[in-house]
Amino acid sequence: MKNRDITLHINGEEYRLNVAVNRTLLDVLRDELGMTETKYGCGTGECGACTVLVEDKAINSCLTLAATMDGKRITTAAGRADFGRLDHIQQAFVDEAAIQCGYCTPGMVMKTASLLAKNPDPSEAEIRHALEGNICRCTGYEKIVKAVKKAAQTMPGRAAVAERCKEAVQ
Amino acid sequence: MSEQAIVGTNAPRVDVRDKATGQAQYAGDIQLPGMLYGKVVRCWEHAHARVKRLDLSAAAASPGVVRVIGPKDVTPKRYNSSVLDLMVSESMHEMLGDIDDQPIFTDHVKFQGDAICGIIARSEEAAERAAAKVVVEYEPLPVYLTAEASRAPGAVQFTPEKPGNLAFQLPEAMFPNHALGGGDVEAAMREADVVVEDAFYVPKQKQCQMEPHAYVAKVDSGGRLTCWTSSQMPKLVQRKLSKLFDLPMNLVKIVPTVIGGGFGTRLGMISEPQACAMALAVPGHPVKLQTLREEDWVISPSRHPGKYWMKIGFKRDGSPLACDARFENYKGGYYLDASGTAFTAGAWLGGMYRFPALRYRGESYFTNQGLTGAYRGYGNPQTNFVLEQLIDRACAELGADPVEWRKKWHKGVGDDGWCPGVTYPSCALDECLDRGAAAIGWTEKRRKYAKQEGTIRRGVGVAVMNHTSGAMPMLLEHTACTVKLNEDATAEILFACSDMGQGSHTALKQIAAETLGFPFEHVQLSGGTSDVAGFDIGAHASRTIYVGGAAVKKACEEVKRQLFERASLQLGVPAEELDVCNKRIFVRADPARGIEAEAITRAGVYHFVDPMTGEPGGVPGQIQGYVSFFPPHNSPPFGASFAEVEIDTETGEVRVLELVNAHDIGRAINPAAVEGQLEGGIQQGLGFVLSEEIYYDANGRVQNNSFTDYKMFGPEDMPKITTILVEDPDPIGPFGAKSVGESGLVSPVGAVANAIFHAIGIQFTEAPITPEKVLKGILEKGVRDYGTLRRS
Repeated sequence: MKNRDITLHINGEEYRLNVAVNRTLLDVLRDELGMTETKYGCGTGECGACTVLVEDKAINSCLTLAATMDGKRITTAAGRADFGRLDHIQQAFVDEAAIQCGYCTPGMVMKTASLLAKNPDPSEAEIRHALEGNICRCTGYEKIVKAVKKAAQTMPGRAAVAERCKEAVQ
Repeated sequence: MSEQAIVGTNAPRVDVRDKATGQAQYAGDIQLPGMLYGKVVRCWEHAHARVKRLDLSAAAASPGVVRVIGPKDVTPKRYNSSVLDLMVSESMHEMLGDIDDQPIFTDHVKFQGDAICGIIARSEEAAERAAAKVVVEYEPLPVYLTAEASRAPGAVQFTPEKPGNLAFQLPEAMFPNHALGGGDVEAAMREADVVVEDAFYVPKQKQCQMEPHAYVAKVDSGGRLTCWTSSQMPKLVQRKLSKLFDLPMNLVKIVPTVIGGGFGTRLGMISEPQACAMALAVPGHPVKLQTLREEDWVISPSRHPGKYWMKIGFKRDGSPLACDARFENYKGGYYLDASGTAFTAGAWLGGMYRFPALRYRGESYFTNQGLTGAYRGYGNPQTNFVLEQLIDRACAELGADPVEWRKKWHKGVGDDGWCPGVTYPSCALDECLDRGAAAIGWTEKRRKYAKQEGTIRRGVGVAVMNHTSGAMPMLLEHTACTVKLNEDATAEILFACSDMGQGSHTALKQIAAETLGFPFEHVQLSGGTSDVAGFDIGAHASRTIYVGGAAVKKACEEVKRQLFERASLQLGVPAEELDVCNKRIFVRADPARGIEAEAITRAGVYHFVDPMTGEPGGVPGQIQGYVSFFPPHNSPPFGASFAEVEIDTETGEVRVLELVNAHDIGRAINPAAVEGQLEGGIQQGLGFVLSEEIYYDANGRVQNNSFTDYKMFGPEDMPKITTILVEDPDPIGPFGAKSVGESGLVSPVGAVANAIFHAIGIQFTEAPITPEKVLKGILEKGVRDYGTLRRS
């Protein structure tokens, strides 16, 4: 198996790695770096438990080869919390009782982050559509949708982001 | 004490901050020094076959492999991965005929995915490469996918212990004529003016918990086996593994990990025996066994599918006379919960309506499908699909309103519940029906949708359910709990029953804080490992709050008793005149007189005798409360669901527009958590009735073991949800609470089926009611009051 030298910027830290070209980003995060906050749910891109942000875009890390991520900025659920201080999305999930077993939660949080980066004021239909690739078996999605709404309302610098998105559309 | 200041509030969940950041540790997240990786080699080609030849030599020589173990390298003892056998007395066990028929590695493949051998390697990849080098030659056997096929004369016998492949039927000794119920059904049915009957099929549904099963097992130098597992029943798994591997229980330690969803699939064991067999083969090295999703799908037990016949007779005035039913379920290749669901499906039937005569027969047959076992609801959604549709069919014939009929004839306070002799202490089902009907606009929509035109049709339907709060009196109900007070008057509670994510540990902490009169933040609750925690049956039968909450409450009351006893000495007032609020113990009649709990606990732990006077400083000894608790009763919950559906008669698609779940839960300890159970239940109930089914090809190979091919309701498919918590405190449950864990998914099943019936006038006897079936039904039977699509 061939290996490749890559640099990943994960949660603000730089990691120089030598990875086998068949290793997925999920494998590297979990097994090589011990960052187990990103979950294995299906390995085939169907459940979204392994969702991370690459730049600001949510991807399934189980379908992404680590070797193709050289130089990229990657964010995981742990990267959104500052030593136990939750970010506004995580806090919204806690406040709205949107977390039960919690296995889908890191992926849901990352998918919400990518949605709100593109669309800071999503309608309920837009939220539900955005979450279609993330499966939750506990909540019936009811409180998760509420949490995403709340996260949108509590997003820091909400007005500025909304303005930027409006300009981008125009 | 300010009465119930914490109980009834949405206290912050104890585990969710760790879950939000991903710091919660599930079994698959565990990494230990020197860890090896296990892989179970499974039979993917056949659902029924004998192993003619097994050659492990090439796999053993594969790079990175440490050991390869086959059937001859492990104990020949067999096990039963379920735990029902541990929950009944020995005589009951004998009568039910529960058997141990599962080998760790098999030479007779009974379902696709049966375990053949195990690889232990230095990496997961090395284990997988070696697994591909295992040489197995199979002799295929005939594949039986239904009860009809497996009970046919000449069929290969799954086990000599169960002739005719009849895994279980209700035992004659307890149920005369193998039937549950009472009264003369035949005679009563002859008196009936209206009889409804049909044969139904109920589907094989998968729990689809998001965390695939994973384990770590290790044998230390003292010979002690430790297994990290997310089983719902750590203490029973400890006993099962101890029996299987002939180890005393003190040499088997279970470390319960955070559970990534249970829904019954973790009720008992799945691959703990294989993980531990591997660890025993490489003492000193932890072995991690991570199950792949597609593997989890075929090896973990699913809901019991099968044929369900039912016949109900009524007088013209609507009074029910008799109900006759038979559920013939299809087991997988092994026994596990064969006795459980076959019984409970009838128990829920018996607990619902006042049938003067009832006869229910339940049978389980081995088949070569994947295993069947516990799934949230445990036989209840199957019965709901059948019973509730037939009730609505009868209401249509009788000209009765389905809500009014149910209000008149459902069982209530003083009636026997699902188990004869255990009467309902509380029942607020009428209120559930009234409030649910109002929420969905029942009267108006029933009238409005009775006359529709066009290709899009709407309908509203109702269904009711009863369930259980613990498994008493049929199964053992026992929970131990220890409450310890630290010297600073904070409390630490040890309680072995797992929190599967439903928020039970949070609610239990609320019960503890409320009982102690301590702030919520000053109470800690942990499940503990099997070597420190006391006995507990496990998280099943919706028991954690009703039984576990009562145990925690009792242990906290004992702690409070000791605190008051010591405070009474200090204050010179009898203990029964004291109260506590926010950790301050005071005289009820004179609240200014009091003592801080901390003064008592500190003096108890840091106990000194004054060297000058010889006077002791307070009462010595750390305060602890312990109970080994058996609940006195069982207070089942009730629920009513209302559904509104929209059907496209040209495509057969059913869209659920709204689902109202109104449940009589006694008392909500943590309302947000209770809502969460009812909302999540709806997603699973809708799947049962409309979309979820495991399909097999003719060779018994599963065709849809992935989230793409197995359709669950996603966020866009979910209807508008309304949950109504009907709180009529139960006289027995802790703070009036009854259960809620399983019940939410049950009655959405019947409500949706009945809404479809209301919309197009057709009842569907096979679940899930997929668009194909709807379209076929419309083409065959026509739509009520709708000319152009009538059968031509």
